[in-house]
Amino acid sequence: MLEIIIQGILLSGLYALIAVGFTLIFSVGRVLNLAYGSYIMVAGYIYFYFSQLLGLPPIAGLLLAGILGSCMGLLKYNLIVKPLKGDHIAVEISTLILAVVLQSTVILFFGNSAKILLPIIPGVIHIGNATVTFNVLAATVASWLILIGLYLFIKKTHIGRAMMAVSMDAKGASISGVDIDKINMITWGISGFLGAIAGVFFASYTQLSPTMWVAPLIIAIAIVIVGGIGSIIGTLVVAHIIGFMEIISVALISPQLRGVFTMLLIILVLVIRPKGLFGREEL
Amino acid sequence: MGLGLRWYHFVLWAGFIAIMALMPEFVSKGTLRTIIFANFLAIFAISWDVLSGRTGYISFGHPFLIGIGAYTTAILTKRFDVPVEYAIPTAVIMTMVGGTIMFLPALRIKGSYFALVSLAFMELIYQLVQVIRPDLTGGTRGMSGLVTLTRGAVNGYYLSVTLMIIVALCMWLLMRTRLGTALSAIGMNEESVKGSGLSPTKLKLFAFMTSAFVAGLGGAFYVHYLGSIAPRALFDINFVFTIIVATLIGGASTIVGPMFGAFFLTFLLEYLRPYLPGAERYLIYGVIALLLYMYQPKGLYHIVMTQLDRFKKRADDD
Repeated sequence: MLEIIIQGILLSGLYALIAVGFTLIFSVGRVLNLAYGSYIMVAGYIYFYFSQLLGLPPIAGLLLAGILGSCMGLLKYNLIVKPLKGDHIAVEISTLILAVVLQSTVILFFGNSAKILLPIIPGVIHIGNATVTFNVLAATVASWLILIGLYLFIKKTHIGRAMMAVSMDAKGASISGVDIDKINMITWGISGFLGAIAGVFFASYTQLSPTMWVAPLIIAIAIVIVGGIGSIIGTLVVAHIIGFMEIISVALISPQLRGVFTMLLIILVLVIRPKGLFGREEL
Repeated sequence: MGLGLRWYHFVLWAGFIAIMALMPEFVSKGTLRTIIFANFLAIFAISWDVLSGRTGYISFGHPFLIGIGAYTTAILTKRFDVPVEYAIPTAVIMTMVGGTIMFLPALRIKGSYFALVSLAFMELIYQLVQVIRPDLTGGTRGMSGLVTLTRGAVNGYYLSVTLMIIVALCMWLLMRTRLGTALSAIGMNEESVKGSGLSPTKLKLFAFMTSAFVAGLGGAFYVHYLGSIAPRALFDINFVFTIIVATLIGGASTIVGPMFGAFFLTFLLEYLRPYLPGAERYLIYGVIALLLYMYQPKGLYHIVMTQLDRFKKRADDD
């Protein structure tokens, strides 16, 4: 029982970290960035390259991955999202194509086989009969810190409030003097940074492979859909619902059914309550 | 019926059929095998086009439908020794049931949200297939040694090309009827379709059923051509990507466009093979797809048509 709770909290923390960058883009830019998963994958490889092949300290690798992820986000916004001028379906499709392009780029440089990432912070701790690696613990702590930081940033700072305004009503925000383009750029940059940080932790939690972007993307989608747009609290709560659901189904039912309940939850919530559990009225 | 057929439509279709019929005389067996894959991709792309290209309900989970068709006939023939003549129609009917299930969320949600639900459908069936009754589905490893309908490249070619042309021609004609126009109207503005006294629900259901019919047919024949089925290759986001890109490159909601898009992409992949043997090929393929899509989201069909129009206008002016 204790083990389920501990594992659940740890996994949920990781999931919240994965989803938060995706929520941000979906709330502010109102676009589904299907290439979000590739931040996670590419960042994993960038970290692998810098800290394991070049031997830089892990924290430098983590920061570099974050900065490059943020650059990726900005490039993506300027080259793909902006020229398509808010055609949501077109953005979805082109980001899906981009995700596959990035996947094959990674295959070109690093090969198709999976790689094991050394833990960012080595060591384990025993709590009861559960074994917790410092690595996953670090991911959870980082996730909490980032979520709290982001929450304060959005509630307290001028830029954060402008982001909220754009997410509620872009036209109204623009009339009130908010530079929508600038806010979008900032959002894409932050989202890329968060995605990349989440990617490094996710890669060290599982393993590094060119196709590893699909699973976190689906988890991020699930959390955002079920949580509802524009709600960081929703992201946090639903990350825990999904995280615990997975751990419980693995522990009590069957490891292979891990993702089934998540999918059922997405379908059910979208059909019964399309605005999500914590979202604003939309659609 | 007001199909708006002109003499050149007949000439173009007859010419296309003649070329496809004579193809085995001119090209190698290897190329024929490539064309077979292109034919099946064309069928899937047409199926996607009927639903998503027309009504704007983007399906990211088309392998869900294809997979139902493929798995139904595979299980029936392999585990219950049902003859193929019965197994394939059953598979098509099952796929249409699957299409109806996929239609239910479309009653309430649209746009990005629907696209995501369809993706969830695909992931759901991918995981279920491996867990529920692996004795029937073959679990993670899938099934092999299934009945194949044809032997040799030439026979396989004729079967697939006949199927593809029948599907393409029927769908092309169907989309030229008022029904096809109504489906396009759903993609433009669902409210005004309702305002015109038509039922969007019935029209959408029709689009889902037709799309599922084609997907099931394609999936069932495809599995009997391959002789094997594997969940990882079938319920794969790369497969969705190939179908969608083929449709969009060719030109969505034109039926002819997706067909040529499928051929274009399959041959592009084949020509890249000597230079890039592995999955890196998707890099070039994806970049070409992305650039084309950003340049002209309506696809090659639209580019060709505008060029033709310009040419015609110039001829008229002289």
